[in-house]
Amino acid sequence: MKVKAGNIRKGMYILHNGQPHLVTKTQFVSPGKGSAFTRARIQNIRYGTTVEFVYKSHDSVEELEVESKELQFLYSMGEDVVFMDPRSYEQVTVAVSLLDGKEGYLVPELSVYILFYEEKAIGIKLPPKIKMLVAEAEDAVAGDRQNAGKKPVTMETGLIVQAPLFVKKGDYLHVDTETGEYVSRAN
Amino acid sequence: MKNWQRISQDSVLKNKLLTREKVFDGLRNFFKTQGFHEVETPLLVKHPGTEPYLEVFKTELVTPEKTQNAFLLTSPEYAMKKLIAGGMGDLFQICKSFRNHEGLSERHNPEFTILEWYRVNADYTKIMNDFEQLLLSLVEKIQNRTDGKITYQGKEYDISAPYTRISVAEAFEKYVGVTTDELLSVAALKKVAGSRGYQVDEETTWEGVYNQLFLNEIEPQLIDQNKPVIIYDYPASQAALSKKKDSDPRFAERFEIYLGGLELGNAFTELTDAVEQKARFEEELALRKQLGKTEYGLDQDYIDALASGLPPTGGIAVGVDRLVMLLADAQDINETIFFPAEEIFSS
Repeated sequence: MKVKAGNIRKGMYILHNGQPHLVTKTQFVSPGKGSAFTRARIQNIRYGTTVEFVYKSHDSVEELEVESKELQFLYSMGEDVVFMDPRSYEQVTVAVSLLDGKEGYLVPELSVYILFYEEKAIGIKLPPKIKMLVAEAEDAVAGDRQNAGKKPVTMETGLIVQAPLFVKKGDYLHVDTETGEYVSRAN
Repeated sequence: MKNWQRISQDSVLKNKLLTREKVFDGLRNFFKTQGFHEVETPLLVKHPGTEPYLEVFKTELVTPEKTQNAFLLTSPEYAMKKLIAGGMGDLFQICKSFRNHEGLSERHNPEFTILEWYRVNADYTKIMNDFEQLLLSLVEKIQNRTDGKITYQGKEYDISAPYTRISVAEAFEKYVGVTTDELLSVAALKKVAGSRGYQVDEETTWEGVYNQLFLNEIEPQLIDQNKPVIIYDYPASQAALSKKKDSDPRFAERFEIYLGGLELGNAFTELTDAVEQKARFEEELALRKQLGKTEYGLDQDYIDALASGLPPTGGIAVGVDRLVMLLADAQDINETIFFPAEEIFSS
């Protein structure tokens, strides 16, 4: 659906340079008493990158009818990741590339939001932090100053996280899905 | 929670709000020690500015004899320049101005505080110097800082004079790669914009692509600088109240000041030619009509003032709220206003 850029609002999904974006902020601009412009901060749904773009208020912008569904992770198989709608039990297969390298956060039964545009999955939103099991952790090596009290541990999904020295195999940790950093112990 | 409720428990906000009072004191001190008169001119006017794209607040003045349209002013400049034509000399004013249809945001309140000053027998270069000295004096008085620097939103800026100066034509050449001839040609500029992925069609105006290129390609470069930037010599069509340059009348003597992403001021060497001014007003009013903006007549009294002899004058309008943001290190204009319109009208 075409809309005038002057009517873009925060929370809308739009097409910008052929890519679906979420509008995170808009602001009216009239440079030096000039005509009306809309400064929009938009986030690429696929890659998460944020840019600012100033539209002429009467520019025509494609608004996307994006549907957000909460789905549960089932399993990965090669290039496919399979989710399930916990209400209808309907299964949805998406390409692993949509996770943009975040597949290491897919713990069993994880709930994620998947964005659909024209019935095609266009983006996945992970929770900001995830509880995960430590699969392997070596004993801390005393006197290793290089890592300032941290050591690499391997999580149940194969993801490697820098964790404090006291973390052991079998612990549960909260991990930040944005930065990949250890947040806290979750035992 | 509203600002007035937060004052007692948020000392950071309280100090930001109180910066306004200090800015007022600093402004008055700066101009009064230089012999400027402070004037007060009407906010309720019959002839608001003719700027084609600004929208006004319209009301009615009702008297026993008749009912007539009245407007809240968008800037006090006509009245102040009439006083200069009347022989008042150097003037300044701090007053409210009003612009409608601009939305409520972290940069806009429909009712805002404007500072204007006019220097007789001066051009815009003198106003550039004034601004540089004014900001240094405010930072010294309010922040007790004398190293010629200001920190805004975590970034330090060198505010010592002179600021970085770049003309509009140079900026387009440097950041957009267009020549002056391309910049001033509707067809050429639209072609440049189209090739860069901007929407252009038959309805697209030169002003639309000019400002869109400016906002997307040039302004971010100005924000990145660690000094304030003065961008000067605007295409004549973008400067209806400024004197055209003797050396190149396609441009007019107007400048704007940018610092830390804030557009702080807009200045001119004032146009003093009554005949030319009347023609430019008529063009602007015709464009207002075409754009469907509120219609009103032109201020013949102002034309008469120019005809009676306005001395060569330089003048500027500065957004005081944005100065307060800068000096209070506030990211949002609503942290500098006791009662933001967003609080009043959003509930």
